[in-house]
Amino acid sequence: MSKQNRHQNHVIPGNQPGSHIPYFIVHNSYLITIFFLLSWAWASWWMGDVLRIAYERSFFATDVTLMHGLWQQSFGWLWFVGRALLTLYRWPLLGGLLVAVLLAAGAGLLGYCLRLSWRWRWVQFLPAAAWMFWTAHEGISLYYMHDAGRILIAPLLIAVISGLWAVVAKLTRRPAPAPGNSASGKVEWGGRRFPFALLFYSLFLLLLFIAPSLYLTHRHPYLRPLTRMEVQLLHHDYEGMSRTAHAHAELSYRQMAGFYAIALARTGHLADQLFDIKFDFEDIKGKSYFGTPNRCLDYHVVDCNYHAGLVRSALHYAILNLTSDGPSLHTLKYLTKIALIEGDWELARKYLRILGKAPFEGDFVRKYQPMVGHSELLKADAELSAVISSMPPVHVLENMYPKPCFLGYYAGQRFLGSKESQTWGAVACLYSKRMNDFLRFAQQYAGTMPPRSIAEGLVTQVSKYPELLKMFPQLNMEVNRYSLFLQEAEAYMQDPKGGSQALFQKYQGYYPYYYFFGNLPSKEQQEEQVQQEFNAGVN
Amino acid sequence: MLVVAGVLMSACSGRPSSLPSTFTEVADSARIYPDYRDVTIPPNIAPLNFMVLDDAADAFVADLGGLVCGAGSDGKMDIDTAAWRSLLTAQRGKDIEVHIYARRPQGWVRQPGFTLHVAEEDIDPYVTYRLIEPGYELYYQLGIYQRNLTNFDVTTIYENDRDKRQGESHCINCHNFQNNGTERMYLHVRENHRGTVVTHGQEAHKILIKHDSIIASGAYGNWHPFLPLVAFSTNKTEQFFHFKYHEKIEVFDQRSDLLLYDAEHNEVRHIIRTPDHFETFPCWSADGTRLYYCDAKMPPAKVSRADLAVIASYDSLFYDLYSVPFDTATYTFGEPRLEVEASAQGMSCSVPRVSPDGRYLLYALALYGQFHLYHHSADLWVKDLQDSTVTAYPLTASNSPDADSYHSWSSNSRWFVFSSRRDDGDYTRTYIAYFDRQGQGHRAFLLPQRDPEYNLMLLKSFNVPELTRTPVPFGQLEMEHVIKHTEAELATYKE
Repeated sequence: MSKQNRHQNHVIPGNQPGSHIPYFIVHNSYLITIFFLLSWAWASWWMGDVLRIAYERSFFATDVTLMHGLWQQSFGWLWFVGRALLTLYRWPLLGGLLVAVLLAAGAGLLGYCLRLSWRWRWVQFLPAAAWMFWTAHEGISLYYMHDAGRILIAPLLIAVISGLWAVVAKLTRRPAPAPGNSASGKVEWGGRRFPFALLFYSLFLLLLFIAPSLYLTHRHPYLRPLTRMEVQLLHHDYEGMSRTAHAHAELSYRQMAGFYAIALARTGHLADQLFDIKFDFEDIKGKSYFGTPNRCLDYHVVDCNYHAGLVRSALHYAILNLTSDGPSLHTLKYLTKIALIEGDWELARKYLRILGKAPFEGDFVRKYQPMVGHSELLKADAELSAVISSMPPVHVLENMYPKPCFLGYYAGQRFLGSKESQTWGAVACLYSKRMNDFLRFAQQYAGTMPPRSIAEGLVTQVSKYPELLKMFPQLNMEVNRYSLFLQEAEAYMQDPKGGSQALFQKYQGYYPYYYFFGNLPSKEQQEEQVQQEFNAGVN
Repeated sequence: MLVVAGVLMSACSGRPSSLPSTFTEVADSARIYPDYRDVTIPPNIAPLNFMVLDDAADAFVADLGGLVCGAGSDGKMDIDTAAWRSLLTAQRGKDIEVHIYARRPQGWVRQPGFTLHVAEEDIDPYVTYRLIEPGYELYYQLGIYQRNLTNFDVTTIYENDRDKRQGESHCINCHNFQNNGTERMYLHVRENHRGTVVTHGQEAHKILIKHDSIIASGAYGNWHPFLPLVAFSTNKTEQFFHFKYHEKIEVFDQRSDLLLYDAEHNEVRHIIRTPDHFETFPCWSADGTRLYYCDAKMPPAKVSRADLAVIASYDSLFYDLYSVPFDTATYTFGEPRLEVEASAQGMSCSVPRVSPDGRYLLYALALYGQFHLYHHSADLWVKDLQDSTVTAYPLTASNSPDADSYHSWSSNSRWFVFSSRRDDGDYTRTYIAYFDRQGQGHRAFLLPQRDPEYNLMLLKSFNVPELTRTPVPFGQLEMEHVIKHTEAELATYKE
């Protein structure tokens, strides 16, 4: 065959006489390119924080001993591969790129295999769409109480299976007419010309990403702000955490509230701003290990206990996580920091050695390795020194306090040591509405202007204890506002749920509103029973 | 000799494979993990693979009495089992001098050597243990395994579920063998599929100890040396965390009694049942005519709330060691006798174990309580049962500053394995120590692993090490059948 003939047999549709459509548009690569870019944006920006935290709640290493538990599981080898892919989410842009490549490759190859005409090309995106909807449906259960290694397996399988199919197709099929062209050689779709097809597919692709995003926002509205706050916590960006919480103040989930409290404690605004967000907690739609509904009540307990200075309780829950979920970066990092704080140097070395086996955790190891055996370096670290200074000053037992301990201890312990801890105690009592205990903690502010929430809490007790106005003369300016609030709230005293909704916008952040209308326990919460499936003796 | 030397010289799989021709002597000792310096080892033990921790060096050579082994920058010495066996056979009852060479930027250096003492007596070749996270309440994947101490072979006796399935999860624990053999054994199953698997020869069945008068199913148990009897404790156990204390956690009993289980007739009865005493950790004497156990009197309540009474007094619970005579013909017990009054010294005993030759009583002693696995103060002590003039004494050379507790004798009474937290304080590891004819324990060494880094990577604890002369004749399939697919037979309670 001559060179000229070969050229004639491979006519580029877009260059045919009568066609006004460029080659790159007619060819599937146009759609795939758009799809790739949208995938990248979706997987790195929209889902970036979620999958970054999924990475933190996962663990990957090539060490046989460390991965033994995973390999024992059914499909453990598959989750192993999935965890390996997920490690790229150490940098969400890179992880998103991987996802985009897998999805785009899968779609393109599937389109090739199916020899789809323009009319049917949307079919090639269905597996990717299904995966995106699945991630949106799973929400926090993508990685919590379930193996995060599952997340990227579907995109990988789509790409691999489509690739294998494409190889087989390439080897076996006969030449086909160029896709997307009518007999006349012009691109038509439903009797219409190119612009309509272009518009249709552009809108289709946009919808393809918007729909699962909206579904995620509807089904798991907490997930993106929650994981944003967790990522910010990883970077010690406490101001950022606070901003994130304020930006989503209408969302009311105890997990978000927990991270918000960490941010406020670290920035010294716990007594000013805690009640700025809503506390009518909704339940997270998580799934237990067995697939049954689960509220993920322990999701944030290690973080909160640790930052509240209750490192033993943090250790308790970190070990529980280690037992039930296997090692994760999240757990191992806390175990390392707790071992350092406790002066368990060999234990810290052990955890750092293990973290050193993870591909991209060198920064963490390099930061904390020098602290082993050098307690003076711990005091120079802002986070560790803050935790150390918050630790209980006297010997107490965890069982003596209601759970979660970061609330139960501060609300229930009489001797808290530092002034900062006393403030936390006062705020914990405000949160728990334990006003007698609150008054005991609030005495430290006598004669001064207390922080906002403390003052607002005190004013709710003035009618009961008028002498408070003598101890806190500055409360007089709060009394008028409180009186006005009571007048307005009077109508809702028999209907707290109604008052909660009606007054939130006006009194958001005002403690008396919280006192009367905030954090009202639902019937389900009162009847919550702790799942005991794995509970057993002592080890 | 040349042939043996040739075998030894080429025995290591590591790199490099020969001693450096030139080197400098240095004074700093090599840091090795596990620390096998100057330990006494059985002549039938697996190779003591170790790793040298020296960031300044990129290659290492170890000279173990002529057996040369090399390692790369990771410092891991992988000693060939056959060559090691030849070495130990030749050195039985003698010493092996070990020298370590490290290649540093300035050249090869030789560090001060150490000695491995090879004992005359073998250790029982199998140790059975449980692997579980040092979790405080939960479990997920756990198993009971048997390790061949003469090599690195590990067989699974039973692993629970690999996947989380509702209604299927179950905990397994507290295995025990009769007289260091595997003819009779038992292990407990908790939660789902619960019961106690009792084996006899090739037969295994599941029984359930349950009765209104029994606190809970059997817990810590010990087979009679030759009769089909198990002495169990029955305990109501709880635990709590310290927020600020040198100990992290406490495990204590709210109540406990002793039971006698007759495996032949599937019958159970109380040995001791008292409302204000906590009896636990029963153990038979070598001839089966006495039963040793720990006993604490419930301390006066410090708080008014009944549910917190024992919690509040956790550090006032002192267990003494008692024994009670047993008639092997009538299966009846006599009057208790105080053996070790630890409480008089403000101390507390746990886990008594009589040596198979009947001479020594080995137990753990700590400041209070009975779950010494969590007590830094726990050490192993010995009482000479044949010489009452000798007061009980600690096995100082075998003990460590951290918790040294649960122990098991070798059938020749010259070795014992035990649980120790000396490595890092949290993860229990199995240590082996020589017990000489003078009743002294020697420096203990960590159960060797093929990969010396194994214990540093392992996020599980070794629980309940038990030595046996023979392998367990059951594996995963047989145990799974008994545990999951047979109904537990309720043991008959006899008044």
